[in-house]
Amino acid sequence: MSAETVESGASAAPRKGVSILFGLTLLGLLLFLWLLLGFATNSFWTPNNISNLLRQGAMTAILAVGQTFVIITAGIDLSVGAVVGFTSVIVAWLLAAGVPLWAAILLTLAFGVLIGAFHAFGIVRMGLPPFIITLATLTSLRGIGLLITNGSTISITNEAFTNFSRADFLGVPSLFWMVIVVAIPAYVFLHLSRFGRYLFAVGSNSEAARLSGVNVHRTIYLAYILSSTCAAFVGLLLASRIGIGNATQAEGWELQAIASSVIGGTSLFGAVGSVHGPLLGAFILATINNGANLLNVNSFWQRIITGVLIIVIVYFDQLRRRSAR
Amino acid sequence: MTELQEARDIRTEGLHVATRHPVPKGEPILELRALQKKYGAVEALKPASLTFLSGEIHAIVGENGAGKSTLIKLLTGVIKRTSGEIFWCGKPVQLDTPHEAIERGINAVHQEVVLCAHLTVAANMFLGDEINRNGLMRKRAMTDAAQRVLDDLGFNLPAAAVLGSLTIGQQQLVATARAAMRGTQFLIFDEPTAYLTRQESAQLFRLIRRLQAEGVTIVYISHRMEEVFELADRVSVLRDGTHVGTRKIGETNEAELIALMINRTIEQIYHKEHFPPGEVIVETRDLSGPGFQDVSLTVHAGEIVGLYGLIGAGRSEFALGLYGRHRPSAGEVYWQGRKVDIASERVAMDLGIALAPESRRDQGLCLNLPIGLNINLPVFSRLTRGFTINGQQERENADRQIRDLKIKTPSRRVLASAMSGGNQQKIVIGKWLSHGAKLFIFDEPTVGVDVGTKAEIYRLFARLLENGAGIILISSYLPEVYELADRLHVFRRGRLVASHDYRAASHEEVLTQAIGV
Ligand SMILES: Nc1ncnc2c1ncn2[C@@H]1O[C@H](COP(=O)(O)OP(=O)(O)OP(=O)(O)O)[C@@H](O)[C@H]1O
Ligand SMILES: [Mg+2]
Repeated sequence: MSAETVESGASAAPRKGVSILFGLTLLGLLLFLWLLLGFATNSFWTPNNISNLLRQGAMTAILAVGQTFVIITAGIDLSVGAVVGFTSVIVAWLLAAGVPLWAAILLTLAFGVLIGAFHAFGIVRMGLPPFIITLATLTSLRGIGLLITNGSTISITNEAFTNFSRADFLGVPSLFWMVIVVAIPAYVFLHLSRFGRYLFAVGSNSEAARLSGVNVHRTIYLAYILSSTCAAFVGLLLASRIGIGNATQAEGWELQAIASSVIGGTSLFGAVGSVHGPLLGAFILATINNGANLLNVNSFWQRIITGVLIIVIVYFDQLRRRSAR
Repeated sequence: MTELQEARDIRTEGLHVATRHPVPKGEPILELRALQKKYGAVEALKPASLTFLSGEIHAIVGENGAGKSTLIKLLTGVIKRTSGEIFWCGKPVQLDTPHEAIERGINAVHQEVVLCAHLTVAANMFLGDEINRNGLMRKRAMTDAAQRVLDDLGFNLPAAAVLGSLTIGQQQLVATARAAMRGTQFLIFDEPTAYLTRQESAQLFRLIRRLQAEGVTIVYISHRMEEVFELADRVSVLRDGTHVGTRKIGETNEAELIALMINRTIEQIYHKEHFPPGEVIVETRDLSGPGFQDVSLTVHAGEIVGLYGLIGAGRSEFALGLYGRHRPSAGEVYWQGRKVDIASERVAMDLGIALAPESRRDQGLCLNLPIGLNINLPVFSRLTRGFTINGQQERENADRQIRDLKIKTPSRRVLASAMSGGNQQKIVIGKWLSHGAKLFIFDEPTVGVDVGTKAEIYRLFARLLENGAGIILISSYLPEVYELADRLHVFRRGRLVASHDYRAASHEEVLTQAIGV
């Protein structure tokens, strides 16, 4: 069952529950940060700030889950930030053109599928390294988005759409619910279905996977399509949140997503990763940004702290894995 | 002066030479006192005390997972010991980095080739020890020197070739040549002949004897008893991480060693049952593809078809062609009488073909994934109910193979990379046994597998045959195909050159045909 890949995915030790331990450590770190900020500031535990934090973290979290699928296959998707900006333009443009909301949403997600399929095509058929093909779409998608909007932004007038991101459901921001809507199927997919196992196998040794009858090409298509579709979904959420379509939005989010994933225990060498890890990683990053704002820490420092944190967490994860050796 | 010494001298131009501590022949050169290694909770080597005498050939035998490779890795600084002491020429030493081991003149040819596949043979041989002039590498000089060493050793290998383009056996020879030219005092071979053909093994043995004559101490690990008796002066036995005894070779015999190794006796290794041949399962007609030409053969239900040949003779390529990995370029395949086009591995598997490939590292296993996942990889579609995997069946299937094949592991969750070589091989086999098939292709199935398990695997073959399957058995180890195959085909340079019925030809005849003299 899930334990099979969750644990072993992340550990060389034959003992049980090591990565559960890692997950708990991350959770502990998150709670610790929350407690700390609760003491250090007056405004952290206000409903307003918490909602804000959950909204901020939600988008990175969804990107990080998609990114994790790709990284598990030993690939990388640098384009997700650009896809977010691009799809925010697409949905704004479709709505402005009078396309009904449901159709605009589906079409935007379809763009995500297409972009992912293009990445996989480049990797599988043209033999391009994932880094290169996704780097190429990173710059070109921003370019196409800017061409469509002529360098400016498209505002969104559809109230139903823009209200969504502000709404709460059961007292929790709807954006955070979207994380759950993505995370549960993602968990089932990665840890309970055979396709998840295939992602790990391809990331570990694609030749062995292939000789075992795994359709390696299809698995790679799947990973990149999922990543881009998650990004397109985040594009929708972002457009709803800021009420405009703008191709330059979400600058650098790909790095946030990769960082969240890595903090969450995903190995850039492939074959190691989970769904809960990147989620926790994303919210840890969001908390640090949020806390730094509240504490009036210079935003330049935020970047430095994030960098240090990545090194520290990944280093401890490495230590833990090596100690089993 | 031999070429070998000359090559060493090239190396000495301003470079380090292994510090030589002359220990008279027959005196202890390396002594282990209560040496122990733990991997987490697993005690791979229990406190072991062993003495190696200068100039001897010391064999080490033991079951899969007994701790042989662990011992070697400790001596070469690849891993760090948990406790215990090592004495080199009578002085305590640390030996916790590979560099220190090499400085002292301790070298090893490891069980799994650990060289750089993208570099040339010459670059690999000089890796970390390049010939420089004014800080620039002398590539030509290195290639020439490497070629001289290879020629001198009688290894027919091109020094300028990229290592990855060679077969595993050939890579193993490169690793051997590399170790032999490094000013070695103490040279360890961890199952060096596993991927070698008989001829290549003979070359290796000549090299080993020559090194011994030059005063080098040799440690030789093998699962093949006849090699141990042919080469060794003394032999030590490990069982479950414990050193259970050392014997002079003249004062022991095969039965005693096996009994020490596995704590029981086996009466017969090659277990052969004859079944009446059934229907034709597969027939190839003039099948050609990358690496093999015009191969026509037939496999019936209930029979083992053996493919023997030198490494690189095209047997594995033929197997991969039949399995849909490389599409054949000409010829036909008939599956149970019907002409088929095996366009992909999936097509092959759906017809009922299983292939346990030659290289467990490159083709057989996802090393950094759990044993359980590896075993189940071919059968996940069968274990799936609706969208999710049936966790209970998944666990049961993995555990059954681990039990049946006696894979030595505390749990199916352990990563395949933490298994000893022979146990990794068993995972590859287990994978395909759990999948089941009408035609099993086993490519070097017993490489690195210990005697006891070998006998069990051969029994498993008989069970598969009994259930109506056919087997293609590819092996570079002549006794194995010779004793087991109902029909033996000999490959040479991509062609099927001769065929024999069970035991119809002599060993010599088969060998001659394989070499083609
Ligand atoms: N990296 C590792 N982590 C955990 N356990 C390990 C690791 N490497 C080896 N082991 C365990 O140590 C034991 C001894 O392994 P070793 O490789 O020394 O066996 P071996 O005698 O060389 O066997 P073989 O004949 O199969 O090569 C085995 O039980 C193995 O599972
Ligand atoms: Mg070994």
